[in-house]
Amino acid sequence: MNKRLLGALGTVIIGAGVIAGIGTYVASAKNDSRVLLATPAGTINTPQGNLPHYTLDMSSYPDSMAGSHGTSGGPHPDWVTYGPVTNFQVPAHSVITVTIKQFDSGARITNDFFASVHGTIDGTAVINGKAVKSVDPEAVGHTFTLHGLSDAKSQLFVSVPLPSLPEAAVPSSGYSKTPNTITFSFISGDAGKYVWNCEYPCGDGTVARFGGPMSTQGYMSGNFDVVKA
Amino acid sequence: MSDLETEKRPSVFERKDVKQTVFFWVIFTAIIGYAAAELQARSMGVAASETMSTTIYMMRVFTWVAAPIAGLVAAMGMTTLIAKIHYGDTPPEEADHQIRSSAKLSITWLVVSSVLCLFAVVWGSVVLQKDNAALLDPTAMNVNVTGQQWAWNFDYVDNGTVRSDVLYLPVNKPVVFHITSKDVIHGFWIVQMGIKVDANPGYTTETSATPNRIGIYDLRCAELCGLYHAFMQTKVHVVSQADYDAWIKSQGGQA
Repeated sequence: MNKRLLGALGTVIIGAGVIAGIGTYVASAKNDSRVLLATPAGTINTPQGNLPHYTLDMSSYPDSMAGSHGTSGGPHPDWVTYGPVTNFQVPAHSVITVTIKQFDSGARITNDFFASVHGTIDGTAVINGKAVKSVDPEAVGHTFTLHGLSDAKSQLFVSVPLPSLPEAAVPSSGYSKTPNTITFSFISGDAGKYVWNCEYPCGDGTVARFGGPMSTQGYMSGNFDVVKA
Repeated sequence: MSDLETEKRPSVFERKDVKQTVFFWVIFTAIIGYAAAELQARSMGVAASETMSTTIYMMRVFTWVAAPIAGLVAAMGMTTLIAKIHYGDTPPEEADHQIRSSAKLSITWLVVSSVLCLFAVVWGSVVLQKDNAALLDPTAMNVNVTGQQWAWNFDYVDNGTVRSDVLYLPVNKPVVFHITSKDVIHGFWIVQMGIKVDANPGYTTETSATPNRIGIYDLRCAELCGLYHAFMQTKVHVVSQADYDAWIKSQGGQA
């Protein structure tokens, strides 16, 4: 009887250990742990009053030879990627100004909704010095689309299209000297965990071109944490 | 003939183990029925449409109808657990072997199962037909729903060119959703309205609802659709007609 009890107990303990081991491995392997913290930039006047101001700078590349994958490009050097990292952290209830340098070409976006600017202060983004509410849906390179869970917190939804460079302006090696520069600002709202991803189908040939870098963390998506200031 | 066969058998309901099983059956049926029905009803949350109210009621009834079956299984299990343990290679003398080939029992089980299944099919079909009645309502408003990894967007086609990432609906007005996807299969699920329909790439699926309670509700994707499936959520704002018109105007549309 005691042997049976010990055997059953041992089986349960070993089983729990195996499951915990797998969980730990998956949790540690799921994402790049590097996080870019927003840089303080004083305060700024908004319709919601004078708020702390922070900035984030990032780029979108036509391959993985820049960004967090190293100059060798990591396991998929030909995959498009954001850089320098894909995880960001910003303070709550602050104005976040994001500047993205867009080095990639593009084509028609499958959903016109994401060719428009959503969720920014005054509903615009500044593209190469010009404020716009939308871009030509036939010439989208990527999007930066930030969203979260449907929970009790104030909803944060920000989506900005990044216009494509002409094919001729994307060199076969290295990057264009004249990328598109996109700047937009939004108010971060309550603290919470959000995610961002690209809504232009720039992945490989699978899943309606939403496969590969579009479905793998560390390329065209990542975490966006809003923390208490 | 053996002595056992010549003895007069007691009625099945006079047997101690059967009495125990019946006692446990009643107890377990009550516990399982109440607990499962309440747990489901509470976990389904507030009903924000007639469809959801009907769904919750239907789940309660189906749960109570199924409870005696679960209760019987649990009761037999309990009777077995507390019964005297018989050791040896042969069954105990008092064991009733007649049950294994009882035609009466087989027929009873078959009829009861069939009636329960028919009950569920007929009721479910009637409710489903009633839920989609608004599809034919000429006064219903139309909203185009597009799912894409991993966000929803909505086009208010009756109000000009209004588009949004959250869903606004006027209370007590039937609405027909025209649902599609740009990439993989998603599940358009307004939790508190009892609406759950697949969004298929290349196809438009229609479903309808009439929100009947002002409030803010949850819209989630109900089909595992990739990396950030869990984040494919947004809010549904059910507001008065006046507030809806004001919101439409604020978005540049025509009320």
